[in-house]
Amino acid sequence: MPRRRSPAEAILAALQERRVLVVCGSGGVGKTTTAAALGLMAAIKGRRVLVCTIDPSRRLATSLGLGQLSGKPRALDLRRFAPAEGGSMSAMVLDTKSTFDAIVTRFAPDEAARKRILGNRFYQHVSAALAGSHEYMAMEKLLELSADQRFDLLVLDTPPTRHALDFLDAPDRLMSFLDTSVLRYFLRPYFVAGRLTLKVATRTGAMAFRLIDRFLGLQFLQDLSEFFLAFEGMYDGFKERAARVHALLRAPSSGFVLVAGPSPQALGEALYFHRRLGEKAMPFVAHVVNRVHPDPAQDEGGRKRGGADRSARIDPGLAGRLAEVFLDQQTLARAERRRIDRLEVDLRERPLLVPELEQDVHDLRGLRTVAEALFAGTTAGARARRRAPLHPGGPGA
Amino acid sequence: MLLDALLDKRLLFLSGKGGVGKSVVGTALALAARDRGKRVLLVEIGSSLEAARYLGAPPSGPRETEVVPGLFTVNLDPARVMDEYVRQVVKIEMLVRRILESPVYHRFFAAAPGLKELMTLGKLLVLAEAHERWSRRAQYDLILVDAPATGHGLSLLKVPVAASAAVPVGPVGHQARRILGLLRDRKKTGLLIVTIPEEMAVVEAVELHRLATAEVGMEAQGVVLNECQERIFSEAEEAQVLRLAAEGASGRLERGIPLAGALRAARRQVRRAKLTRFYQTRLKRTLPLPLVCLPYLFREEIGPEDVRELAERLAAA
Repeated sequence: MPRRRSPAEAILAALQERRVLVVCGSGGVGKTTTAAALGLMAAIKGRRVLVCTIDPSRRLATSLGLGQLSGKPRALDLRRFAPAEGGSMSAMVLDTKSTFDAIVTRFAPDEAARKRILGNRFYQHVSAALAGSHEYMAMEKLLELSADQRFDLLVLDTPPTRHALDFLDAPDRLMSFLDTSVLRYFLRPYFVAGRLTLKVATRTGAMAFRLIDRFLGLQFLQDLSEFFLAFEGMYDGFKERAARVHALLRAPSSGFVLVAGPSPQALGEALYFHRRLGEKAMPFVAHVVNRVHPDPAQDEGGRKRGGADRSARIDPGLAGRLAEVFLDQQTLARAERRRIDRLEVDLRERPLLVPELEQDVHDLRGLRTVAEALFAGTTAGARARRRAPLHPGGPGA
Repeated sequence: MLLDALLDKRLLFLSGKGGVGKSVVGTALALAARDRGKRVLLVEIGSSLEAARYLGAPPSGPRETEVVPGLFTVNLDPARVMDEYVRQVVKIEMLVRRILESPVYHRFFAAAPGLKELMTLGKLLVLAEAHERWSRRAQYDLILVDAPATGHGLSLLKVPVAASAAVPVGPVGHQARRILGLLRDRKKTGLLIVTIPEEMAVVEAVELHRLATAEVGMEAQGVVLNECQERIFSEAEEAQVLRLAAEGASGRLERGIPLAGALRAARRQVRRAKLTRFYQTRLKRTLPLPLVCLPYLFREEIGPEDVRELAERLAAA
């Protein structure tokens, strides 16, 4: 039987072959850092990479050591990493408001429609601020960027799991909304007369509407109706693009990297997400478990060892505290190891383990260390280390 | 001191970067408040397992449940909050079912941005204003909301701002303004920022503080720096540890504890303790808020006793 590809090899292959890599996971597990490190690795290997974060908290800039990123791709200086011919990396964050504005500008049937939308009070507030519109815009942006000829690989950093699922479901939700009769009600000027005179096909539908009226009020319905009317002529476009995103997320040229941390919650979410990906028929690439605490009993290699026995020189007070620190970290490391082994059994998939680094990662150099740690076991990792030895001791040194 | 200021509030949101331990801190704070004789409601939004894990109680459900005397939990799943609202308004179960199954209802609320968030906040408003039937005593002295992580937490809090501006009249605007009034009521409502001694978490904490003030008009009451590692080696000892590690010293301290391994562990501890001090200083300098530090817990899994320990730390702070 052929040897099964290791997760690191699977990710490396994806970095070289695919067009879209989506990085998902629960909060605080290092998704953004992983996405940026993967992007950096692909760029070093010669691809033109764009890393885009759709998380409304703007961590990507911090992880790259930049003060600010905008809704436009910003090229990073990779010279010190001596990337292969043609390799480059840019980074950007999703700006919901400007993405929405750009879509309106681009797809509005005429100037009057564009003005009507951009001037709509509801639009002005909804497009900028509301939680749900973020996912729709992420979807639109993904489509736009995936067609951008300046880049070969798009690495997408998503919000924490639950919201990442919101994002992955967004195309279906939007298509289903645009398909229903709900929208059609809004597109008839029922509300403008100031009275709700609906002729709804079903009695329950009518009741649902009366309920919406009672809760939301006529003014809101009128505003909403105007808002929807303003977009008239653009709906087929929205629907068509949502369908394309739906397909793009399932295409063989796309792939999902699931990132977890070693905590029970994060590993549990990874398992859940893996199942959901399977249900949605979205192409899974590999699991990464970040920031695994090393067992202090195990030598990580790369350091001097075999020196003289110095245990007798340590005074008892210090020896006691040293032992305590050792046991603390060992307890943690072993518990994590057991949980990861269990996950492996449940997933029938070996995760890629990345050790907790002693340094906080918040610049390109740090990212390089993460990339090295990710691919430590592969030939590419070894080559990357040879080319530019940043940390002679390897990760954790 | 910080605890006193927090217990003064009726409604308290906890937010911060994902993975900093908001739920552990929230649960510990709920316990600490309850120990001071408060009736506390711990609210989870859309996830029901965290508080349960830390309290050794069954997962929180859609109804408030007393899991420890004086401490209630509830899980506000935005979709269910909406359904519950329909139940209250319509009352007839058969009709309720038909409405909830109707595609018009379902797709409208699934697709409309912000509505679910507004409903969820509306439910918090109701909970914050609830009184016992026969007395004027509030049903809960303190409602602690384990809010989503920074980005989504802020989006949630911004919904009433946007809604009240987008729909100035009518029930939605009215509701949004009432919610906003509560969020901005500095006597009743507060925000507790949770973070850990790491760059990104601290950057987000500072940003959360700024944006909550600027975009929502909410004032933060304090910062909890979780997962702190105290200094346990003196400077001379640190130097000795580093020297021995560089030498590659061998031998063993006691049974099962090789010196080389202990030195590796000590080196990590020294780094983390240094980072802890660094970010403590930075937070004190950048955020004009009371700061409480909670220790990193080296446990197989955080359980009820650990949360109790944290609660006592919070009470002493």
